[in-house]
Amino acid sequence: MQSSENGVESRNEVAEGEQHILNFLDSVDSYLILMDSLSSALRQGWLELASARHSMGASRVNCALFDLKSHHASTTVQVNNDLPHFKLCKWASSDDPEKYSEEGKFEEDELFQNKSDGPRHRHQELQEKRTEEGGASPVGTDNQIQKLFLQAQKERFKTLSMFGTLVSPKLRATQLSFETALEMLVEISNTRASLLHAYDQVQKDRTNPK
Amino acid sequence: MANRAQIRTSSSALIAMIADEDTITGFLLAGVGNVDLRRKTNYLIVDSKTTVKQIEDAFKEFTTREDIAIVLISQYVANMVRFLVDSYNKPIPAILEIPSKDHPYDPAHDSVLSRVKYLFSTESVASGRR
Repeated sequence: MQSSENGVESRNEVAEGEQHILNFLDSVDSYLILMDSLSSALRQGWLELASARHSMGASRVNCALFDLKSHHASTTVQVNNDLPHFKLCKWASSDDPEKYSEEGKFEEDELFQNKSDGPRHRHQELQEKRTEEGGASPVGTDNQIQKLFLQAQKERFKTLSMFGTLVSPKLRATQLSFETALEMLVEISNTRASLLHAYDQVQKDRTNPK
Repeated sequence: MANRAQIRTSSSALIAMIADEDTITGFLLAGVGNVDLRRKTNYLIVDSKTTVKQIEDAFKEFTTREDIAIVLISQYVANMVRFLVDSYNKPIPAILEIPSKDHPYDPAHDSVLSRVKYLFSTESVASGRR
């Protein structure tokens, strides 16, 4: 009886060890795929930046124009120390970052998922939705989404204004490409944390065979 | 050196960058630029005049600041301070090696993959079978 119990236990341990290895391999695979996607997003961004520089002139798009006055970052990261886990917070008010709510950030992420629509189209969609539903939708949520949207647009414009009031559409496209790259980077950070955690588990299984 | 205090759970933290001008410009457009009251930035632009010492100092500064959660470093820059990047093993800030315009991403040099590639080596497989 004891030997069969031991047999079951050791089979479970082997299964657990194999699961750790699978988790590790999955993490490595995800990491490499994400790095490849990041390379594409960055290439797109560099190309658009080069186009913007070409249309606006090299003197209007260079590091000498960077804002060196004291200011907070509009886009930050929230960290949970378990594992750890990173979450991107885009376009908070650079005047008061604490105003940016967690709930609002989630809504805004959904709003910004479809970049091909463009901000103007998305704004029109919001207006149309409100007209169609005739106030049946929760006005509070709509107002909050619109407020966040306008807040994000304001911060985007503030960042672009580093290079002048009238900027090339290519520079706006560069901004969107690098925003996409940032989202991927946060995902890569989380995958990296999972990878290292899975690696530690596999190492532990190898050094302490049960 | 005193132990680096952990970033508070769910508090906002910055993304630091050590990269070429175009990459920094792009990410600043995405809103990650921060300048504190002492005019210290969360980025270092690396060009032909940047010395290895400057890169080392920036890397050490960004990895010890309490308000930074992620450090982005172009892989070709990381190769200049490889010993420093590879010896870093804390979970926060996360060090991410990114490609640059003239230097595509090479998984063989990535510090995270270098750390775990031992598991794929023949030595590792052979020792597991003993």
